[in-house]
Amino acid sequence: MKHASIKAALRTAVWLAVLAAAAALFLPKYWLFLITAVFIVGVALQSLGIVTGRTGMISLCQMSFAGVGAWVTGYLNLYEVPGGLVVWVLLGGLAAVPVGIVIGLPALRLRGINLAIVTLGFAAAFDTILATITYPGQTTFTQVVRPALFESDKGYFLFIMLVYGLIAVALEFLSRSRLGASWLAVRHSERAAAAQGISIPMAKLSAFAISAFISGISGGLLAGYLGTLVAENFNMMQSLALFAVATMVGAHFTLGAIAGGLMITLFPELLRRIGLPQDVGNVFFALGAVQALSTGETISETWARLGSKLMPARLKGQKRSTATTTLAAPAVHAKGTALEVSGLTVRYANVVALDKVELSVPSRTVVGLIGPNGAGKSTTIDAITGFLPRYEGSVRLDGRPLEGLSATARARAGVRRSWQTTRIAPELRVGEYIRLAAGGIKPGEIEAVLEWFDCPSPETLIATVDAGTRRLIDVAGVVASRPPVLLLDEPAAGQSYAEALKLGERIAAIPEKFGSAVLLIEHDMDLVRRACSAITVFDFGRKIAHGAPDAVLGSVIVQKAYMGVELEEQAA
Amino acid sequence: MTLLEVKGLIVNRSGVPVVRGIDLVARSGEISVVLGSNGAGKTTTLEGLSGIIPASGEIVLDNASIAGASAGKRARAGLRHVEQGRTVFPEMTTEENLKVALHPDASLGEAYELFPELVQRRDVKAGMLSGGEQQMLVIARALVGRPKVIMVDEMSSGLAPVVVNRLMSGVRKLADGGMAVVLVEQFATLALGIGDRAYVLRRGQVVYDGGCAELARDPKRLHHLYLGDSVQAG
Amino acid sequence: MNSLLTSAVAGLSAGGAYAILGVCAIFNYRLVAVVNFTGAAIGAAGTFVMVALYEAGFPLAVDVVAGVAAGALAATLIGLVMTTWFAGSSASTKAAVTAALLVGIIAVGLRLTGGQHPHNFPEIVAGSAFRLAGVEVTRASVLTIAISVLFTVLTEMFLARTRMGLQLRALSQRPMAAELIGIRVKLLALCVWAVMGAVTSFALMVIAPLRSPDFMSISLLVVPALAAALIGAFTSFRAALVGGLMIGVIEGLASGLDAFSQYRGAIPFVVILAVLLWSQRGARWDEAR
Repeated sequence: MKHASIKAALRTAVWLAVLAAAAALFLPKYWLFLITAVFIVGVALQSLGIVTGRTGMISLCQMSFAGVGAWVTGYLNLYEVPGGLVVWVLLGGLAAVPVGIVIGLPALRLRGINLAIVTLGFAAAFDTILATITYPGQTTFTQVVRPALFESDKGYFLFIMLVYGLIAVALEFLSRSRLGASWLAVRHSERAAAAQGISIPMAKLSAFAISAFISGISGGLLAGYLGTLVAENFNMMQSLALFAVATMVGAHFTLGAIAGGLMITLFPELLRRIGLPQDVGNVFFALGAVQALSTGETISETWARLGSKLMPARLKGQKRSTATTTLAAPAVHAKGTALEVSGLTVRYANVVALDKVELSVPSRTVVGLIGPNGAGKSTTIDAITGFLPRYEGSVRLDGRPLEGLSATARARAGVRRSWQTTRIAPELRVGEYIRLAAGGIKPGEIEAVLEWFDCPSPETLIATVDAGTRRLIDVAGVVASRPPVLLLDEPAAGQSYAEALKLGERIAAIPEKFGSAVLLIEHDMDLVRRACSAITVFDFGRKIAHGAPDAVLGSVIVQKAYMGVELEEQAA
Repeated sequence: MTLLEVKGLIVNRSGVPVVRGIDLVARSGEISVVLGSNGAGKTTTLEGLSGIIPASGEIVLDNASIAGASAGKRARAGLRHVEQGRTVFPEMTTEENLKVALHPDASLGEAYELFPELVQRRDVKAGMLSGGEQQMLVIARALVGRPKVIMVDEMSSGLAPVVVNRLMSGVRKLADGGMAVVLVEQFATLALGIGDRAYVLRRGQVVYDGGCAELARDPKRLHHLYLGDSVQAG
Repeated sequence: MNSLLTSAVAGLSAGGAYAILGVCAIFNYRLVAVVNFTGAAIGAAGTFVMVALYEAGFPLAVDVVAGVAAGALAATLIGLVMTTWFAGSSASTKAAVTAALLVGIIAVGLRLTGGQHPHNFPEIVAGSAFRLAGVEVTRASVLTIAISVLFTVLTEMFLARTRMGLQLRALSQRPMAAELIGIRVKLLALCVWAVMGAVTSFALMVIAPLRSPDFMSISLLVVPALAAALIGAFTSFRAALVGGLMIGVIEGLASGLDAFSQYRGAIPFVVILAVLLWSQRGARWDEAR
């Protein structure tokens, strides 16, 4: 995986270097000046890509963050603080960080729309504040001084390319890191992310902080580019337009940020040349964004899709290496009872969903939890993994009570779960997902686990994998983390009968191969028979039976629960 | 008379094939019972038929194809889907719940005749009704829309046997009034007791298609269809 | 003291506008599940159609009716986009769509109205209604407050008493169940959009002469509008009504105090932040809007 990040980062760096050299050598001065703006806007777009594109939080005040960076840069320039532009820009970026965190704070508990309202409100507030305090040096026309080495327009272009390259490379590493994957996971499903031990507040705040930092830098760079700035450079409309463009192009992709920068900078130029009013550009951006939102595909993704179609098949084939991999030795967890649930009661309003149920999973065994619809099986899993606001009774992992721990903390303590519907971020690669689910896993081990589950190779994009296989990858992820207990919620739903039976055999082997105990919710009784050494049956929120599979499934009370009749009696 | 005819229905739920080619028929005056354990694809079948999720295959309602039409169009063409989970409009009273669905030719009296229990609860917010009353309300709400076919999903889940019996007889009355009823149930016996034709689903396919009475007489077979049997399957 | 009262009363007309816009935002969210960033921009479109006709010399009554109709039409077009392509989308995606559309609408609006170019805004209602403790209360502010109260009351009555109101309530409570009983969901949604557009347009016509009346400033009134809607938790019309008035009065007070007057544009943000941090203190997971 490290290898892949280095490769991607190198590729980005080389491309940008070639681009910069070609532009510096061949472009006339006017165009070079324009292209410089493309990459400054590109930096701002990349910052928006982190919050909105990757983490899925709507930010409508990105240019306000840039404004903070630019204001600080201008201020430091006005008072001739030593260090020059490079230091000022860095400080400007850092100054935007606390602002980003404060705006991000309401996002800890909220998502989507409320955050959009907060950020739009901030953009409006920042407008009035900046209009009042004005930009430092605005009235005296004090120019921001560029570094001596990069003073000419060509020099400043190279400086911008250098900064852009540094940020792009850093983001390339970041996006393939566990932090980057956790942003995507949060975007896709906060619950699933928490169940993987990801701290949601950390993921969101780090996204906002890093995004504000980069945006602040873009503001500082703009100050150096234009020399003097006015409040209008950072007003609400700029933020809104940036949002529309980022949505349209997919600013969290390297290519998307550059394409967006090109559009924002060159579109007005183009319109000017063909004699059209320049603000038509915003109409185009708005329509493009709506189009991207309706198809769910940004321009970058469209290009990537078309590109991969054109690519010769031999390059595309992601065959698994023929060298057979072997699983590491099973994890060693405490012996005895891995998971003990006692007196668990859950109420929704005045409905009792679970009534003092008992459940116990001995270490290194597979226990089935079955029951008709509405028996309370999924509620039980939610309670154990910390997704219910309240319950009565106790849940113990290896004897230690879990009460008071959040879902994230419980996952980290070693209670892991899979989901009924797949909640894997489609932008991830299979290997990245496994690494996200099983933090600290070794590359060879990722291969081995995937092979054991017959999953696609680590470099395969989740988006290209069918939904049934995604569920399998979900299961592989929790299994790969080798926790003391893992809870599988209908892992075989949607699979054919033969596939389901095969999965049953694999689940049966999990304790031996990985050292984990399994609680399995499943409706296919043939699968349950194959996988489980014991079965617990719930009905109407109560435990009605427990024991060996055949005995339990043959018992009258279970048949009655499932079919509403005592078959033996009727037959008699 | 055949009011609903389905051929080769395939439905995917978020990309996973859940219904894998189902044929089904519902006739006027009859109850077609669809059985199967959890995850067999019963609910998804209904959702594909009513247009909640896209489906492929032929769906003919009273000699007119409705495949590809929106859920609203199918409903206005005379197909009613009573979803599981008692989807009353919780902030509206019982009577308002009925009024909003009332067909111009129908009257509220028909609903109260089917389930007289609802009369004294007419001014109570539907969210405050008991589970059984809510189930009666959603069935009655479907009735006053004057549909040709009514599909009821898991109406008995979580309800006491007395209430379930009450609902079952109500559904029988609907069919006796000339409607075609599709009844999806997990609890087989009661449904087989009032139904005419039975379908049993397993992993998205029909594994039994025949009379209700025959299946009710063969509990071994029902047991196998429901709880599997490792000896036979292996 | 008297000067403070003067500034507070001066804030009432703006407050009335915020209240109507806030109530409309809730109307939009409750009935068609869209948090609409284009609300004020739609009203701006209607307002400027009225101004254009007025400047062309048509009688005021004709201008107002045409402007209201234009606002309804603009809103219906946006509603058409939302119901055609985003009916099944998440609330968050819908909000993103309206935010993107806002960019385009403002661009078109500024282009057609000549940017900051001053327009001859007719005062639909002029003059003072009465004096309160020696302070003039303008007819415009009385009218905006009256409209917002009237709209709130009428909406509540409409929803409670009429068949269409019944269908709208069903639609807002369980959209899928409403569709499954044959309610014409799309048609109803478009009606909601049209009404919202008409009401917003009329309200903004009344207060436009009192504001810096360019297309963008009016469109960006969406910020205090959403702040008011948040006070009503996107459910209570009355709370939004009071909240909108309150924001207006606080803004008025702030402009009366020299130290704050420059920063009064930041007040909606402070309100938004405070309301959200307070109302969401117990919320968890993806359940929030």
